[in-house]
Amino acid sequence: MKPIIFNAVNKSYFLHHQRTIKELVQAIFKGQKTREKVYALQDVSFEVEKGTTVGIIGRNGAGKSTMLKLMAGVTKATSGALKITGKVAPLIELGAGFHPELTGRENIYLNGVILGMTEEQISKKFKDICSFSELEEKFIQMPVKHYSSGMYMRLAFSIAIFTDPDILLVDEILAVGDSAFQKKCFQKMNEFKERNITIIYISHSMMQVKEFCNRVIYLKGGKIAFDGETKIGIKKYLDDIES
Amino acid sequence: MILKADHMENNHSWQLLKHLSSREIKARYKQSFLGFFWIVLNPLFQLIILSFVFSNVIRFENLGVPYPVFLFVGLLSWIFFDTAVSQSSSALTENAALLKQVYFPRELLVASVVIAKALDFFIASVVLLFLMIIFHVSLTPLLLLILPIFVLQAIFTFSFALIISSLNLFYRDTQYFFGLILKLWFYLTPVIYPMEVFPDKWRFIFKLNPMSVFINAYRQVLLAHDWPNFISLGIGVFVTLTLFILSYGLFKKLEGSFADVV
Repeated sequence: MKPIIFNAVNKSYFLHHQRTIKELVQAIFKGQKTREKVYALQDVSFEVEKGTTVGIIGRNGAGKSTMLKLMAGVTKATSGALKITGKVAPLIELGAGFHPELTGRENIYLNGVILGMTEEQISKKFKDICSFSELEEKFIQMPVKHYSSGMYMRLAFSIAIFTDPDILLVDEILAVGDSAFQKKCFQKMNEFKERNITIIYISHSMMQVKEFCNRVIYLKGGKIAFDGETKIGIKKYLDDIES
Repeated sequence: MILKADHMENNHSWQLLKHLSSREIKARYKQSFLGFFWIVLNPLFQLIILSFVFSNVIRFENLGVPYPVFLFVGLLSWIFFDTAVSQSSSALTENAALLKQVYFPRELLVASVVIAKALDFFIASVVLLFLMIIFHVSLTPLLLLILPIFVLQAIFTFSFALIISSLNLFYRDTQYFFGLILKLWFYLTPVIYPMEVFPDKWRFIFKLNPMSVFINAYRQVLLAHDWPNFISLGIGVFVTLTLFILSYGLFKKLEGSFADVV
């Protein structure tokens, strides 16, 4: 079974122009528009084979993140059908579930269950998570508010990566930590590739996409402008930017 | 096979609820000097002020029990409702990043706040126990009935919190607006006064107000050592369940667009 299937997916938002009831009431009296329909994705269809690494490229606002959010299941398509099969690890909004007052240890458990692991699974992986994050024991026992931002992201990344995913969603987060840690992240991602895990990779770095992905989807204004060979897709994208 | 998956899922939801609740509980008191004492100090402080005013300035007759005990029963129940709803109004907005990151049943975020406040309720209830002993109000087996009444109140509170928290994502004024409603609601609920002070023709308000139904029921079993009024409790059950079905339906309907609006 194909892990990711998009069939004529549309996603539109209502852009609410007013954030408060006061503004809303004023707008209604003045006869202004209260909301506006905006398409983030339009008629998007594609399938991803198991074990493929797909790069998603496109300019800001082209719908890349929306696509990832749909795959992560945090938002619903307005119309069309999509089917995601398998366990998804979203490497987006890293550290979202962290609480600054809780210790590294408590946050590992908290974030682990949020990402879909059971306590037993976390206990088994606990050592691996700590050692991958390169955090010393004393830091694991410390509230994460005392962490540097690099340490914070390293821990968040390590938890997400040890959830045993079938599908990995990556949103430009490999700028985590110093270059040594970045290298380690890429090694880990390559290891995932070898283990036949499906990876969806959003990046603005064409070099990384070229090196890492065996297929590319180029989004332009919410529509698929190209889907296929990495090199050709990147070239098309770069040509579009320059023209 | 499918059954097993369901079981796993259920088990996982419980663990998630457990960890979210303990985050709620731990995080709140980790930094404060007095820590868990605040749970007790807060209602106690209100109790002392209100007891002073209503024992020395204005007096209610024929309560059957000393005023501080009468008051504290209502106060504990009200504080649970008030703090749980006010705090969960921002339960979703404060977790915006999480809502955009990963899917899990969103109602767990709201439920974890209600659970944290329920713990506060039970801890502060120990003070009530002491008060009852000090003021020679006898303890009877009927006091166990506060558990089912509390469960009912918790469902009511949770239902309300579901509506407020989700609407607050769309319009941030919801929490401020509801803050005002809560203030008015407090005075329309017999917390500081017995409902007998209202003329007969107005008392139907209390029948329709579930908070008043719960508080009267607590007082009936704890202080009057009698069974609660099953007719008003029945209305309470009906209102609570109706509200729960509506609010849960609304919440689940809106859930798909939470990540779009935060």
